[in-house]
Amino acid sequence: MISDITFGQYYPAKSVLHKADPRIKLLLTFLMIVFLFVCKNFFSLAVMVFVTVLATVFSGVPFKVILKSIRPVLVILIFTTFLNIFYTKGGTVYFEFWKFSVTEKGINNAVFTVIRIITLVVLSSLLTYTTTPTDLTTGLERLLSPLNLIHIKVHTLAMMMTLALRFIPTLIEETERIMNAQKARGADLETGSLIQRAKALIPIFVPLMVSSFRRAYELAFAMTCRCYTGGEGRTRMKQMKLSARDFVLLALCLIACAGVIVLNIFFEPVI
Amino acid sequence: MNCAIEIRNLSHLYSPGTPSQVTALKDINLRIGHGEILGIIGHTGSGKSTLISHFNGLLKPSSGTVLVDGEDIHKDKETLRSSRFKVGLCFQYPEYQLFEETVFKDIAFGPKNMKLSDDEIKQRVLRAAQYTGVPEEMLEKSPFDLSGGEKRRVAIAGVMAMEPQVLVFDEPAAGLDPSGRKALINLIKDYHKKTGCTVIVVSHSMEDIARLADRLIVINGGTIAMDGSLHDVFSRSEELAGMGLDVPEVTKIFAQIRERGFDVPLDVYSVEYAEKTILSMLEGGNVQ
Ligand SMILES: Nc1ncnc2c1ncn2[C@@H]1O[C@H](COP(=O)(O)OP(=O)(O)O)[C@@H](O)[C@H]1O
Ligand SMILES: [Mg+2]
Repeated sequence: MISDITFGQYYPAKSVLHKADPRIKLLLTFLMIVFLFVCKNFFSLAVMVFVTVLATVFSGVPFKVILKSIRPVLVILIFTTFLNIFYTKGGTVYFEFWKFSVTEKGINNAVFTVIRIITLVVLSSLLTYTTTPTDLTTGLERLLSPLNLIHIKVHTLAMMMTLALRFIPTLIEETERIMNAQKARGADLETGSLIQRAKALIPIFVPLMVSSFRRAYELAFAMTCRCYTGGEGRTRMKQMKLSARDFVLLALCLIACAGVIVLNIFFEPVI
Repeated sequence: MNCAIEIRNLSHLYSPGTPSQVTALKDINLRIGHGEILGIIGHTGSGKSTLISHFNGLLKPSSGTVLVDGEDIHKDKETLRSSRFKVGLCFQYPEYQLFEETVFKDIAFGPKNMKLSDDEIKQRVLRAAQYTGVPEEMLEKSPFDLSGGEKRRVAIAGVMAMEPQVLVFDEPAAGLDPSGRKALINLIKDYHKKTGCTVIVVSHSMEDIARLADRLIVINGGTIAMDGSLHDVFSRSEELAGMGLDVPEVTKIFAQIRERGFDVPLDVYSVEYAEKTILSMLEGGNVQ
């Protein structure tokens, strides 16, 4: 069933991270990802891994669900590992054949990169697991609001994004419904040449476009009726307020960042 | 004799094996004879739409079999495809499936998929237009220029043009005004009378169902809770109320009249029949 595709992959739970302010979460995720690339040796990387594990534990998202987010990057992981092991040269040579050689530096690089990518993916999926798409766009809107000064309509962009996200499940459902209706009239979507199959999509595509436009008009009309005139002077039902929790999270992350810098200075870089 | 549709031990799960698994139907057994006019009622989410989507193989049962004309429709691809033409399914709000440039072409979509000759297609389109009261001059218009009620008729004609042995309607009158509702119900009734094919109507309007069906099936929580004549089902009004359903308004009124000591029949399900009963009672002089 196509409607099984989870969008935005929000995982409902009541954890510290779920309750944290979306703006802080966005900022901290960004900060952590930057510092993942600041790490120069395994000691500083360990700090980042520790922070990620801690965040995972306190996110209330089951470990199995987190693992699922790594699956899409598996191919990339294997590919970079392969490249790193066989193409990076330096340090002790463990193994050699034809043009390839497996070296200490190669293995270090491979392990380092794998850990870095996995941490990166887990951190960013934690953000989407613990924040609803609406909160995410609202948070982004607030963070980017200084751009209003250079006449970029941040609110309009955020509203468009929120609406698009909101209507994805609706459109999937609609597609399914129209497909069933046309199949009931004997539409054949599965067999025939490529051109025939492309043509078979017309009876689905046309009603879908028609109903999307109708929906868009209805929505615009409903928004106008409720006096929507864009972002100016608009207040929010849910005010975002920083709480003590958010400052604690911020402090912890800053300590981790400091740790990364210190460990980078005191130990040899491996990468 | 073969049944038009026979369902044996049918169960259906949505998203089986995932946390969002839903048992939409459990162990359904049902025989629908040729030429019957059958009503299916049930609360929202009781599984009506899921059930009728099995009649032409749009959904595959998780367990159990669906026989159309005595043949298992999931036997092979050919049988499955021909079941689409034997059982015509008209979904809720069918007007959203219109897509062609002209009304004629849209009605012809089904027959075309049956690979009929152009002549035969034309005849079928004209016949279906006649059954649904779509005037001939409308056939060359764009379906998107029609009113809501007209679109509905065109969409229904698109299913009728396949001339299926069994015609299934899911909430055919949903979203129409009372007069449009009545016209549509009469249209379905006339179609049944003229063609003699099996008609199945899903609805949660007791009035519409009472005017249409001979036999009634009540679905509750994915199982068949009642199956019988209008009288059998509507005489169990308390059980119906327990399932979030109701008997027609006139029936309730007649029950109240009876409570006040008048000898009126209890099997009054339509306003027309109610009118007749009251008039004959007045003429008979047994009411002051
Ligand atoms: N595509 C679907 N995916 C998952 N569950 C569904 C789907 N369609 C229907 N259901 C569920 O199956 C049950 C029966 O639905 P349905 O057959 O549409 O009921 P009705 O037509 O009587 O209102 C409901 O609980 C509904 O939530
Ligand atoms: Mg339904």
